[in-house]
Order: sequence, then structure tokens, then C-alpha cells
Amino acid sequence: MIDVEVLVIGSGPGGALTAARLAEAGRQVFVLEEGDWIEVGEHEPFSLDQMEAQYRNAGQTVALGRPPIIYTEGRGAGGGSEVNSGLYHRPGPELLDDWARRFAIRDLSERDIVEHSREIEKTLSVGTVPGAVTPASSVIERGGAALGWATREVPRWMVYGETSDAGDGERQTMTRTYLPRAREAGATIMTGVHVDRLVKRGRRIVEVRATKRLAPGISEPLRFRPEHVFVCAGAIQTPALLQRSGLRTNVGRTLAVHPMVKAVARFDDAINVPDDVPVHQVKEFAPNISIGGSASGPGLLGLALAPEWARFAEVTADWEHSSLYYAATRTQGHGRVQALPFLDDPLVTYRLTRGDGKMLVHALERMVHLLFAAGARRVYPSVAEAVELRTAADLTELGQRLKLRDLNLMTVHLCSSVPMGEDRARAGVDSFGRIHGFDNVRVNDASLLPEAPGLNPQGTIMAIASRNCAAFLAGAR
Amino acid sequence: MTHTTIVTGAGGWLGRALLASFSGVWGSGDTSIGGESHARDGVLRALVHTANEVAGVLVVAEGAEVHVGDMTDPEVLKRLFEGADGATVIHAAGVIHPKRASDFVVNSVGARAVVAQAITTGVGRFVHVSSNSPFGVNSAPDDVFRADEPYRPYLGYGRSKMDAELVVRAAVDAGDLDAVIVRPPWFYGPFQPERQTSFFRLVRRGIFPMFGAGENRRSMVYIGNLVDGIVRAEQQADATGKAYWIADARPYPMTEVVATVKQALADAGIKVSERQVRVPRLFGDLAEKADGFLQERGRYQQELHVVGELNKTIACDISAARADLGYEPTVDLAEGMRRSVRWCLDQGIEL
Repeated sequence: MIDVEVLVIGSGPGGALTAARLAEAGRQVFVLEEGDWIEVGEHEPFSLDQMEAQYRNAGQTVALGRPPIIYTEGRGAGGGSEVNSGLYHRPGPELLDDWARRFAIRDLSERDIVEHSREIEKTLSVGTVPGAVTPASSVIERGGAALGWATREVPRWMVYGETSDAGDGERQTMTRTYLPRAREAGATIMTGVHVDRLVKRGRRIVEVRATKRLAPGISEPLRFRPEHVFVCAGAIQTPALLQRSGLRTNVGRTLAVHPMVKAVARFDDAINVPDDVPVHQVKEFAPNISIGGSASGPGLLGLALAPEWARFAEVTADWEHSSLYYAATRTQGHGRVQALPFLDDPLVTYRLTRGDGKMLVHALERMVHLLFAAGARRVYPSVAEAVELRTAADLTELGQRLKLRDLNLMTVHLCSSVPMGEDRARAGVDSFGRIHGFDNVRVNDASLLPEAPGLNPQGTIMAIASRNCAAFLAGAR
Repeated sequence: MTHTTIVTGAGGWLGRALLASFSGVWGSGDTSIGGESHARDGVLRALVHTANEVAGVLVVAEGAEVHVGDMTDPEVLKRLFEGADGATVIHAAGVIHPKRASDFVVNSVGARAVVAQAITTGVGRFVHVSSNSPFGVNSAPDDVFRADEPYRPYLGYGRSKMDAELVVRAAVDAGDLDAVIVRPPWFYGPFQPERQTSFFRLVRRGIFPMFGAGENRRSMVYIGNLVDGIVRAEQQADATGKAYWIADARPYPMTEVVATVKQALADAGIKVSERQVRVPRLFGDLAEKADGFLQERGRYQQELHVVGELNKTIACDISAARADLGYEPTVDLAEGMRRSVRWCLDQGIEL
């Protein structure tokens, strides 16, 4: 039995920040991470090889529903921050006030958050590209200018040289920032550890049972006796672990995602930059609809055209002229995460409403309209019975017949599976992440956002996690 | 040389409002109707579809040359455009609620014929009056259509008005025509037809169906604001090839539209029912489906079509018209509805 003061489960943006904050405040911190520690640059960024190594299930897990939604979860030290696009949004006062009011969350005004956001922005070197953005990113800017739609360059956590172009930045992931800081302040970070369950007694977690992987096929059990537990395993694994441990109240019932439809756009010029993603987004329709660019290596182009890629083989053969774009929406429908006995992966289901379907089709139409306005010669939306769109008239015809079930949907933003708030009928955790009805177990990751925010969520997740750490250290109840 | 202004669809709601404004009948001190006067010198030429519309045009513009005929008939158009090089053309003719769904095609065929004749004649600015229908319905109650959006035509009318816009755009792209497209949503105000009057009556009796909570929004345009927008589109030199939403300043929730009409009626001393019929949202969706089903089979049923649209949000953003044309809607829903009710009463229309 290992006695620890604070046990942090998961080392993604929520867990890494929690570990650093608490260790730097003098707490004895122990971090458990299921995946491995992989240095930035070991795998080609945004490649299939990286998906294989740094995502759970090689980045292809499915939320069941009609239609199903393919989702990706980072796995390994640093979690999603090691593999995502690195796009940062500071949570704005409108979003925070709206959440505070609708979900009965205390102390969530901009004033409560802004200092935390500033510290995170400094630590992660959040900034825009000093030099040139990628040609695939310029496409979005150009299309927006042609249509009169607002676009913006979204800042990223990157260290750039004074005149660096987009591809030359160094990503400031958790393994480069908060995890080393946590270690510096005395935290222990153990990788290759799967947490099996939390053991509860009364209002407390008294023990945490885990399995340490030693070599393929060889493992040993580990037992921890923590004073405090922070569950930061992400919006799928956090509720699954809590359910396995018998903590089920409002856990896993309100998963929210931003479903995305994608399209490959082909241009006269070479626009593809396989190892970087566009930094421009269309903000005109925020927060309902967001349009941006995705990682577009040749393999990923093929994946987007699957299962009909053979019909459009010239697109992947001529991949330098093509790039992938997405349109993401907020949804009225929700998902569920349900831990299953004897299986590692929980069952994830997602129910989209008719209105969600209409918004997704509308989002797809607006995205293609933008791509044509930016000069695309051909657009291939990722839909059942894939088609090649050459003109605006082709888009009109497609839009008239597209139904929700025809869309190939995927998502990378998973949240809200253990939502925070004081309304115990809806919320799984209180305004600061403590699980209702328990004294020493908290959630501090994407799970506690009350809904999907309509933008890349990592900046919001970290700011709220940082605020929760401050409340914990101050002894707030 | 005197300037000529040609208005098609002159016997309709908008056509009569335009001519009344151009002739000076509307707006010049006649506060019982209100609205902006755009009185102009020169020749007013009006095209109406049938002879029984002629009197209605002459009432509002007694000096107008009225031509009677089908806008798809080249002989009719030839006479209408005779010697009219350099003229302003306001193409406001269209079929909204036909007897058969196939009749919608008149909108695109008519636009093609009128545009062809306008090119042959060598007219000046051509203002094409379109609609929200080529863009369908918004995908969320807080969504608004921007000036530049993908076409998503709503059933037969939407498709015909989209095709008409495409005809105009092709002529502009070929360098043959100096055209601007104006897109009004649902309008209201003086010269209103019977269908709008029956809307008022349903509201007065409390039996106008409100779907769900009525939180869906509709952009509307007071007809005087629309006339002003059209004149600005006619006069703005660098607007060739552009398309603009011309509407009131903001979209109105359906609940507000109904409440405002009730208030305007009550203020005019008309007894208004206090009840309000509410209908589950589902019925609107069913009506939409039934409308689509019938239209695919060549039939058109006005009530079904209108009910199918009632629970939808159809909202647009006028900021491009504000920025490029200097358009500013001066009459809002409350004032506009008051003027509409007064106009009806002045005409002896029972509400």
C-alpha cells in the first residue's frame, strides 16, 4: 500500500496542470498515467503513425448511434495536448456567465478565471504565427474575405522564432510544460498504470487499485491510500472509472461533443502541409457552427474519402493539391458513457436530434461554399455515396438530398460527462469539481464542463482546472 | 432626355407600393399611409398580368403607362421595353402561391425573358427582386443568413427564385447587364393582399396557430423600408452583381409578431380575442412534409405551405445593405403594423 497525499489519475491538460499546481503549493503529488511518455517529435506530427502510438485504439473509437460518431482520445503522458492542433481560446465572459447562470455554478465569472487564463497563456507561450501561415490556412482566410464572413487566426501554444512560419514552431505540450514543472516541484509521475477502481467508504475514497504494466503480458497490482484523489482521465475514461467504482450519480449521462463533417478540397496550387494544421477558423457562425482545417497527410485524405477512396484515387495520388476541412457544430442531443464489466472500453452512445442533423447539413453546405469561394476546383464531402462537387449547383443538389444518416461524423472534443454545478439533479460534481456526496474525490478535466463550448476546449478546461486547484488549496467546500 | 422606370409585377403588393412612391401619391404629405416618398420625374411603365389589375395601378400612379400581358411573352416585353435604353428596371413580378406547383417555373422563365429583353434594349440599372426562399430555413433559432450564403432552396418556390437569381447573375458575369439583387423576406404594410388580411383576422380571433413556444424568429420587412432599399439598390453605382437582404433591423420572434399585430388591432379600436391557439411543433413538420409530398406530385396547397413554414426560423442579416447602400430601416414592427391596420381601415377592409 502506497500512501500519497494527492493522487492524480491522468496526465492530460487537466491532470498535468493539477499536478503542477498542487506540487508547487507543497503537496505531495503522485500522477498515474495509463500510456507511455513519448517525447514530442518522436512521431511525425498529425501522421497515422502518431495516431497508432499516441491515441487510444489508434484514434478510431466509435460512439454508437445513427449515424455513429468516430472519436479520438489521446493516450499517454500529456494526453490530448501531445497530439491535438494546439489551438487556444481563452474562455470569454459571455460563455462563463451563461454557464454560471444556466448550470448554477458558483464563482465562474471572468474575474474568477482571467488570472488563471493569463498564467496558462504564459506557461504555454500562446501566440500567433509571426511569419507565414500555411497555404491550407490561407484558404480559410481567403474564402472568408470573399464572402464577408469573419475569420480569425486562432493562437496556439507554440514557441516560435521571431520570424518563424507556421510549421517552425515548437509545440508546448504537457510533457514540455506542466509535467516537468510538477516533477521539479517533487511530484512522481508513473506511466503504464491502468487504474482499475476507487474503493469508497462512506464519504471518502480510501483506496485506489491499479495495475502497472511491466512488459508485454507482465503486470503487477498497485494499491494506493490517498488523502485526495483527482480524476483527470478525460471525458470518456473519467466517468467509466467512476462508474466501475460505484459512483454513478449524474456520471456519464450527458456526454457532449462537437460532431464534425469533413471535406477534401482540391486546388490548382499545392496547398498541403502534411505535418501541420491550419490556424484560421470561420467565427462568423460561432458558437453554433465553426469551420476550420484538419490534419491532411495523404493517409488522412484517404481515410476521409473511405470507403470510396478507390473512386477518387487521383485525389490521394495528387495529395499536394488537396487539404481536409471540417465544419463542427454544437448539438442538442447528448451521449452516454457506460462502463461494461470485463471490458476495458466503455460503451459510448450518442443521440443526435433532427435539429442537430439539419445544423450539420447546413454547416457542411457553408463549408463547401467557403471552399469554392476560396478557389477550390473540386470538393469531396465525407458522406455516404461520396460525390465529387465541381460547382455551386452540385452543392445545391447534394444539400437537397443529404440526410443526417448520410454524414460520416467524427469528433475530437469530448466533454461534459460529469458536469459541474450546484443543482444535484443534474450535476455530478460541485462548482469546483468535488463529487457530490464525497469529501476527497474530485474531477478536474473536460468531463466537468457543463456543455460543449463551441470552440477548441483545452483553454477552457485548463482555466477551470486551475481555478479548481486554487479553491482546493484555499479549502473551499 | 426623360428617364424611364419600368416595373414588372406592378399590380402586386410591392409593385403598387413602388409606383405609389414613384408617383408621389404615397408619402407626399399623406401621413395616413406614411412611408418614404421617392417621387420621380420621367416615364413610369408598368407591366401587369391581367387587365383587371390596371385600375389598381392607375389609382396609385395615374400617369403610368400600363402594359398588360405575360412576362414570358417576348412580344409583350418588346413593347414594354420599346425605346427604353438606359431605363431603370425593377423586376418585381413573380408567382408566390400558384394553383399548380409547375407554375413556379414562371419565375425563372419570366426572369430569363425579362433579362434577355433588358439586354437587347440596353437598359441601365436592373434591380431583381428575389426572396428568402432560395436559402431555405435557418438551422437554429439564433442563426441568421448572411449576404453571401449557399443556395438551399425551399421547395418549388425556392427553386424557381434561385433559378431566377442564377439567370441574373449569369447576365452580370457575362458583362451584359448591370443588375443588383434585392432579397426581401415576408413583407407587411399598405397595399397588402387578401392573404395578409386573413392573417390579421386569424390573429384577431386568437386562432392563428402558434407552434411550440413560438421562439422561432422571422425576418420581416415593412413595405416602405423595402421600397427605400430598392431605390438605394437602384442608385448605388458600385453595387453591380451584389445581392442584399432588405429587411427590418432585426428578426422578430413569432410570439412578438402575433402580439404586435394584436396590439395594433386593439389600438385601432378593434376587439381582439385574448386566447391564443397553440399547436405542437410536430404539426408544422407534418405540414412541411405534406407540402413537399404534394409539390412533388405537381400540386400546391397554399395553407399547407404557409403552415409548413410557420414553425421555422427564417432570419437574415442586413449589415451588407447598411454598409454598401446606406440602407436604414426607419419603420419597425409596431409602427409598421399600425400603419397596415390604418391602411386596411381606410380602404374599407373589414378586419
